[in-house]
Amino acid sequence: MEPTEDNPKHDVVVIGCGPAGLTSAIYTTREDIDTMMFERGVVGGLAAVTDKIDNYPGFPDGVEGLKLADDLRKQAERFGAKIELGEVSAISDEGEYKRLSTTSGDIMAKSILIATGSDYKKVGVPGEAEYYARGVHYCATCDGAFYRDKNIAVIGGGNSAVQETIFLTRFATHIDLLVRSTIKASDVLQKELDEYVQKGKVTIHLNTTIDEIKGENNVVNKVIAKTNNEPTEFSVDGVFVFIGLIPNTQFIKNTPIKLDELGFILTDKYLSTNMKGVFAAGDVRSGATMQIASAAGEGATAALMLREFLEGRLPTS
Amino acid sequence: MVKNITIFTTNTCAYCQMVKKYLGAKGMSYEEINLDEFPQRQAEAIELSGTMTVPVTVVTKQDESKEVIIGYNLSRLAPAVA
Repeated sequence: MEPTEDNPKHDVVVIGCGPAGLTSAIYTTREDIDTMMFERGVVGGLAAVTDKIDNYPGFPDGVEGLKLADDLRKQAERFGAKIELGEVSAISDEGEYKRLSTTSGDIMAKSILIATGSDYKKVGVPGEAEYYARGVHYCATCDGAFYRDKNIAVIGGGNSAVQETIFLTRFATHIDLLVRSTIKASDVLQKELDEYVQKGKVTIHLNTTIDEIKGENNVVNKVIAKTNNEPTEFSVDGVFVFIGLIPNTQFIKNTPIKLDELGFILTDKYLSTNMKGVFAAGDVRSGATMQIASAAGEGATAALMLREFLEGRLPTS
Repeated sequence: MVKNITIFTTNTCAYCQMVKKYLGAKGMSYEEINLDEFPQRQAEAIELSGTMTVPVTVVTKQDESKEVIIGYNLSRLAPAVA
């Protein structure tokens, strides 16, 4: 089916404006490849809601996530990337063009890069949904300020959990860090965290699983858990959850695009999915390392593959 | 018709930037209450939204009715300011 006159047509549509999507757009637009981008959430993705990024190359003193995201956006827009604040709800293959159903109507694209990233996982315990944004939070940089001089719990033991715990120390009186097994954050972050442990601002509880988040009068007041299989309670005013990531691939569940068992997009060595002309990069891709620098690198690679595809030079894997 | 818009924000909140960016792109003016600068107004944000989160966007219509939008929620923000 040929696109109708009414449907805007683009050479490349990038879904997701995180580091992978924005980097790819910097490359494609710099080569004058017509590129449209969609973002349903925050431009910059999870990087934008991270307080400080210390391991992105070129920033010897680290960089605020919000600043990095804004600079990536400006760089992409400088070369002509167009960012639409809206959502893509479906993709269908119609031959030379793919059809994208979006909040701005259907659009047609010769090629697509899916760079929708991931979101933070939920714990899945009673009380979590009930107290969402009223004591249970997934964004420290957004909601941390509501916990000035209060006691909170952070759930998780990876880089995000430790990074955000360190950020939250600027507000909270005390933080209980509840870790399912052991801390898996980088040594650098663990060393920084240890400074707050020494000061008594943070207490780490290893081998701790969460059973319930409880509250009274519409406010969270405790976390019910087990530490080393022994029941325990933590009296807190709020809970921040950073326990890993789930891919943003809901919108392609009904397409032929293949996903792995966890819902991440399968690609070949050219970052191509099994739908011709559709590529994936960054945290949404199966095998991604969940690093901002890697996502940017994959975005650059994907842009080169998109160009090869548009020029009919992309080999089949 | 929209009479005025107030957004409760914090300095580090990326979703707050998105609400401001969206309204800016639509050419709409708004009052921003930065809770890092005015922490004494936190209670107001909590009372209006029933939550402890930002952004909280309060859209006041000409008839003085108010719509409160929590977070960066385009499916609610777009029609509220249309």
